[in-house]
Amino acid sequence: MTRELVLVRRGAYHDSVTLMRISRALTEMPGVSAAMVAMATDLNLSVIRDLGFPAPEAGPGDLLIALRAEAPEAAVAEADRLLSTFQQPQTPAEQPPLTTRSALRTSADLVLVSVPGEYAFAEAHDAVQAGLPVMIFSDGVTVGQERWLKELAETKDVLVMGPDCGTAAIAGVGLGFANVLTPGPVGVVAASGTGAQQVTCLLDWAGTGVSHVLGVGGRDLSAEVGGLSTLRALRMLDDDPATELIVLISKPAAPEVARAVQEAPLRTPVVRALLREGGPDLTEATEQALRALKRPVPEWPAWPAWSGRTARHKAIKGLYSGGTLGTEAALVAGQGDFVDFGDDVYTRGRAHPMIDPTLRVEALSRAGDTEVVLMDVVLGHGADPDPAASLAHAVARTPATVVVALIGTEGDPQDLHRQAAAFREAGAAVFTSNAQAARHARSLL
Amino acid sequence: MTLLSAPPRVVTVGAGLLDESLRAQAVPTVPVSWRPPLPGTARALVTVLADPRRQAANELAVRRLTSARPQLVRVRRASEVLDEDTFLHAGPPIEWERASGPMRGALIGAMLLEGRARDERAAERALAAGAVALRPCHEHGAVGPMAGVVSPSMWLFEVRDDEHGGTAYCSLNEGLGKVLRYGAYGPEVLERLRWMDEVLGPALAATLERTGPIDLRSLMAQALQMGDELHNRNRAATSLLLRELAPAVVEAAPDTAAQVLRFVNGNDHFFLNAAMAAAKVSTDAARDIPGSSLVVAMARNGTDFGVQVSGLGGRWFTGPAGVPDGLYLGAYGPGDANPDIGDSTITETSGLGGFAMAAAPAIVRFVGGEVADAVRATRSMYEITLAEHPAYQIPGLGFRGTPVGIDVTLVARTGLLPVVNTGIAGRVAGTGQVGAGLVKPPVEAFTAALLALADEISDPFDDQGPRTSSPQ
Amino acid sequence: MTVSTQVRRSRVHVTGAASAAVRPVLESSRRPARVLAAFPTGVYLEVRTDLEPSVIAVITGEATRLPNSVLLATRLPHVTVGDEATVGDRSVELGRLTLSVRRWWDPAPPPGRTDLARLARAATVLGDPPGAGLAGNDAVDLLASSCAKGWLLGAVTAAEQLVGLGPGLTPSGDDVLAGLLVTLRQLGAAAGVERAVWLAGWLAAAVTFDAGTRTTPISATLLHCAARGEASPEVSAVLRAVAAGQGLEPALRRLHRLGHTSGADLAQGIAIGVSAVLSLGGSR
Repeated sequence: MTRELVLVRRGAYHDSVTLMRISRALTEMPGVSAAMVAMATDLNLSVIRDLGFPAPEAGPGDLLIALRAEAPEAAVAEADRLLSTFQQPQTPAEQPPLTTRSALRTSADLVLVSVPGEYAFAEAHDAVQAGLPVMIFSDGVTVGQERWLKELAETKDVLVMGPDCGTAAIAGVGLGFANVLTPGPVGVVAASGTGAQQVTCLLDWAGTGVSHVLGVGGRDLSAEVGGLSTLRALRMLDDDPATELIVLISKPAAPEVARAVQEAPLRTPVVRALLREGGPDLTEATEQALRALKRPVPEWPAWPAWSGRTARHKAIKGLYSGGTLGTEAALVAGQGDFVDFGDDVYTRGRAHPMIDPTLRVEALSRAGDTEVVLMDVVLGHGADPDPAASLAHAVARTPATVVVALIGTEGDPQDLHRQAAAFREAGAAVFTSNAQAARHARSLL
Repeated sequence: MTLLSAPPRVVTVGAGLLDESLRAQAVPTVPVSWRPPLPGTARALVTVLADPRRQAANELAVRRLTSARPQLVRVRRASEVLDEDTFLHAGPPIEWERASGPMRGALIGAMLLEGRARDERAAERALAAGAVALRPCHEHGAVGPMAGVVSPSMWLFEVRDDEHGGTAYCSLNEGLGKVLRYGAYGPEVLERLRWMDEVLGPALAATLERTGPIDLRSLMAQALQMGDELHNRNRAATSLLLRELAPAVVEAAPDTAAQVLRFVNGNDHFFLNAAMAAAKVSTDAARDIPGSSLVVAMARNGTDFGVQVSGLGGRWFTGPAGVPDGLYLGAYGPGDANPDIGDSTITETSGLGGFAMAAAPAIVRFVGGEVADAVRATRSMYEITLAEHPAYQIPGLGFRGTPVGIDVTLVARTGLLPVVNTGIAGRVAGTGQVGAGLVKPPVEAFTAALLALADEISDPFDDQGPRTSSPQ
Repeated sequence: MTVSTQVRRSRVHVTGAASAAVRPVLESSRRPARVLAAFPTGVYLEVRTDLEPSVIAVITGEATRLPNSVLLATRLPHVTVGDEATVGDRSVELGRLTLSVRRWWDPAPPPGRTDLARLARAATVLGDPPGAGLAGNDAVDLLASSCAKGWLLGAVTAAEQLVGLGPGLTPSGDDVLAGLLVTLRQLGAAAGVERAVWLAGWLAAAVTFDAGTRTTPISATLLHCAARGEASPEVSAVLRAVAAGQGLEPALRRLHRLGHTSGADLAQGIAIGVSAVLSLGGSR
């Protein structure tokens, strides 16, 4: 007999990634048909309703446990056990730091902020005020707060990466969603995390390493923010002896900001990737960078589908976890319906689609046999430890034809080749260049 | 060294996964044990943190607080500084109607002491009719333990801040048991108060004229190293003070010296009132700095717990006073306890008392708990304070300075409330002390102060030019 | 070794960071290796391979990051000298640990463009480093004067006397040579002094030719690394400070803290190298 149980724990906070892992572990328990452990955000409450549970009275500061199981109480006990084991282990006599300000009593070089966006300002503020650079992984920070932080950073002479900076790499250390990269001469300044991942993965494949990847956040080049972080990141790379060439991945900029960036006095050559109609795509920008360094441009690895599905394709459906990759694919394909599952509206109180495949698995199951599904699978630090485990299954079952842009390096923990093989066996065509994947999708119409 | 010259050591705050992936790369990290701020404070926090005055204001406020040099300069009769129709009391302002049992008891005792009523009933009637003005000690440069009632014929310690020039007062400690400050007003209470007025006060006043100023800052620093935390344990400080005073007492008041010294020696809490005046003069030095979110007073009147903040002048932010949790004397139990009362939380406000508990492991026998709890209490207070005291140090923590300078933004961010050691008064007027323990301040006093700070600030994200978008 | 018990014991998968110098060995097919030395903060593995570095240091956070190191994110397993291990197929198997790499660092970071004026200023600071194990040694003097003149034969003659000279896992003579080789290659290139780079190449070839038979295996591997311009971060930081013309004193202090005399010996090699680059670049 299956029973339903919905519990609310008032004021019990856990981060969304931890809760996603616990939900997944509970779902795998015998006798459990549905399980969701999440903060009671509006999005998660609506997911609960979609799963057929009665939605309780609860707010975003409350923990929600919803179970459909033969013995839901046992699953609750397991959830409690997991919640306690996922708590950070601390020696009891020591007081763990509760704020960034407190943590900075010990010496550090960088602060990485990934709390929910409405709370990110305080932590980032602590870092900048203490004269430390900060990477704000969180999204949902207001543009006013972003500008304020970056202006303070100017007075402190430090870099603010973000907000909504998903990717950075400093002297080989991957922060957020980053790949395992070979050290080398190319420095990247990126307004887009997945854009930086595409470029650096291709460079790595070409045998040309990367010195640093400095993210600046998607709004840095807006008139409101004035490109403060972009200009600073460019100067830092210009002064860095390891960097021989800079790749600047930007989004459409306010004209006066674009001019300021264009006119920044730099000794180091800069290759630009700007995602807009007619601009060089990320793959082309990478190739330009290689030519500028007088290094050969290789063939980008691609694995065709074992067998083409014979249905007549009418439309492209883009299911992306990386917003910039989705934008690039839409530009290259020139048509289709693209969804960015990494957008705020899908991630409030929920883990990023690079970690939590649920929403994309659902979307694949809804795709029709006349559609070409174009999707990215991003490997590296912070990403799903085995994306093929959940997504390849969904790819095999969907009636649509699937084209995968697989963004990763051979050094990544997920094993690029094994992932490629799994998606290919599930019937997908796999490309390491997102632009090539999009061109291939278009050619199937 | 620049950011790019070596692999960084990273402080991580937020998703545990991102910290794990750094550790997997053999990168040293310090993870923050982050929780969302107190409910309803998120917007105010951002506004207050972004106040461009705040950083410098808090630095100045906490520097003034920790650099104050309290000196015990005089002992004088309250009638010299207080007009005769005013009684002072502990905590934020309160009227007779809302006053708790021990507060009423102490006020009745003061009426009897001053000869303004023949008996208890007459005193109650007079007080209810407003025969004397009831004013908070804090608004007259004074502090008082428990009920904190000061009437004109009581004697006061006068403490001067040699660094910034401020002055603060606190009454003389009556001892333990049935005493006015716990709301007792029986004949033995009044008799003791009369003796203090006639013998103790004048003798100490004459003594201080001989000794000259006594440096309380260094005396308190020594007492911390001798196991006091200067709120619920003052045994070492009392001994040190007695040592300073004794010869001069004998010279100044040869006829009564033995009585005076015996009285001081018989009361381990005698120094508390001097410590409170020292704390008051130090926190007062940090007052009225525009933009500062530093707490300059925490005080309770037995009904309300009130907080004052440097950047908000004399405004009180209050919540209901809680009942302390601790050990009870004899047959008393929690049912006999009055809600929290007294200005003695000024010690915690200045980095002593509960904040210095790790210095006083013996205190756990008095307030309940283990020695480790005392260490944990002090360690946790570093999370909500702006500085470590340069003079007040804790040997057991490697001579680390005590946590000092409560910041309401840090209280809101961490959800940690100040740790307060306190005595427990009986709820019925006339009972006296029933126990001692720890008490939790009401969270709303701190959130209300934070919201008020935010209200005083024009939106920091809007006034930087027409091109700046306002936050949502 | 009995295979059956080895298989039955569960392996512990751990991760870490590694010098990019060891990448070729790690990414080639699996080879046997054995524990050459074991310390609380590091284990040296000798790999049966023709690739260099053939000795890999598996270390914890407290140890010096030698250019042949793999830095563990966890604690070292208990192993003793002579224990078997394997290296290759992207992992190191040591005791119960299977170690894979999640981060690569560059053991030969470019110091940045520089000029002779900056080198001249640095040379006065570098001077005669205190505490060097071979101060006043004739071969060291010969090495310095030969390099300054660009006289390869003299430098090679001196180097032959220095390889393996001194006690310990990395003899003083080797440390001096390593410091010199890295400096000639890196600062020679950074200052555009071709002749210094040329000297580095030939001297390196001579030093590494039979290092394997003339000094300890660990020291021989470090000489191979130095020949390619690879060093520990403390050495790289000194070169960067020399090139940038700032921060040399603190960087030197950190270098001097390495080993018993290793830091001072490396600093002596760097000093000889800087003087040689200066003199070969035509400065008086």
